[in-house]
Amino acid sequence: MPAAREVRTAAQANQEDVFYGQTVIMWARWSVIVTGIVLVLWTSTNVSLLTQTMPFFLVLMAVNFFLHGRYVMGSPLNRVVVIVASVIDLVLITAIVVLWPGSHGLHNQFYVLYFPVVFAFALVFTRRIEAAYTVLAILLYLGACLFTGTVPFDLGSDDKVLVMRVIVIAAMGFLGNYYFRIQRDRLVQASRGDRSTLSEIRGGLAH
Amino acid sequence: MSTTRWNPAHHLVSPDGKWYWDGVAQEWKAVPTPAAPAKAAPTTSPAAAAASRGLSFFTGTIRSDDLSYGQTVLVWARWILIGTGLLLSFWSPKDLLTLQVQLAAIIALAFGNFYLHVQLLRGHTALDNVVYGASLADICVVTALVLVQSGYPSPVFIFYFAAIVGISVAFPTQMTAGYTLLAIGVYGIICLATATGDEYPAVFTRLLTIAAVAVCGNLFARHEAQRRADAIRIHGELLDEIEHQPSSQSQTQPATPAL
Repeated sequence: MPAAREVRTAAQANQEDVFYGQTVIMWARWSVIVTGIVLVLWTSTNVSLLTQTMPFFLVLMAVNFFLHGRYVMGSPLNRVVVIVASVIDLVLITAIVVLWPGSHGLHNQFYVLYFPVVFAFALVFTRRIEAAYTVLAILLYLGACLFTGTVPFDLGSDDKVLVMRVIVIAAMGFLGNYYFRIQRDRLVQASRGDRSTLSEIRGGLAH
Repeated sequence: MSTTRWNPAHHLVSPDGKWYWDGVAQEWKAVPTPAAPAKAAPTTSPAAAAASRGLSFFTGTIRSDDLSYGQTVLVWARWILIGTGLLLSFWSPKDLLTLQVQLAAIIALAFGNFYLHVQLLRGHTALDNVVYGASLADICVVTALVLVQSGYPSPVFIFYFAAIVGISVAFPTQMTAGYTLLAIGVYGIICLATATGDEYPAVFTRLLTIAAVAVCGNLFARHEAQRRADAIRIHGELLDEIEHQPSSQSQTQPATPAL
């Protein structure tokens, strides 16, 4: 009887998840970087402002050059490094929300940068890791709003806006990971189909 | 055990006609074959047999099942939009007209989504055009909500993100690009008309992040299609290997009884 070759092992599937998912995260990060750099160049009114804000995006750019370079060279980074880099994304976006000159916390319009980052992460990792990451993003944003004192807690329109944004961040994580799990099931289904087909062929040989 | 009854007119069927989508069990199942005509079935060529045995409908080249799988994401994205919209509509409403428009749009969307969700649960195919129309309705509803709340200052534009997420993973690249451009174009025009000059950078940020979400979702969907295609290709190679080996094996083990 010929030895059955595994079409796709669980370990291989996990590696592929990170490999393919890494590109999605990198493209999400590039979108954040491009948005940030354009805005910094566009809105700066003096040299001091430009030198204060540009470093955020230069750091992100350096991180992404490194990650993308490794990916292009065929040696993508492992799961832990990808997670750490994604957490750095959140920290930097939160720093922008808190420290951006002119508008802070709830009034800062850069909060939308959380959306692609959380969504891309949710497309790559399993539910538990994704949930932790989404909760971290929400906590960081809530913390930024609280830290800057821009949330009045009077159940008025500002609180409503905050709740709306938090719900959409959570939705990004949920929907992304929901689709990720659907795709995993499809791949598992295909693998299962392979094995059952194999069994059928063996059964046919026996006849 | 599924309670879904097989009906060829109502189920999503794979391109090779051998599988149908059971929405209750959320899995593909073999189409029941009629007992009598089985003997009368003509002999198929080896190539045709290989094709029928293949799992090519799992690959990304066929978009109908991708739409079916992605539609569940679309439906849930729309429920999130509806639930959040209802919650926020009742939270310190501004005026009667705004509330009326909000509730009418959200309730209409809820009815449409309920229909699509029921179709999914029963394993019935929803017409592609209905799915495309529902996604267009999502964008229209969010746009209507943005318009009644004075355009740029409206915080509900973030619901474009939920709508685009579903679209990006469910639809082919060209359709995703079309819908995203539509959302960005319409919202961009509204913002240009209602925002002041110093708010344009924020408008730019919003538009670019909407596009980024669409790119990420569609990129992932394409990668997944490629992965399935690779898995099927390996599967085909494996079958070929097995088919070549039994000839020598059958010479040594000619008549093993079936279990």
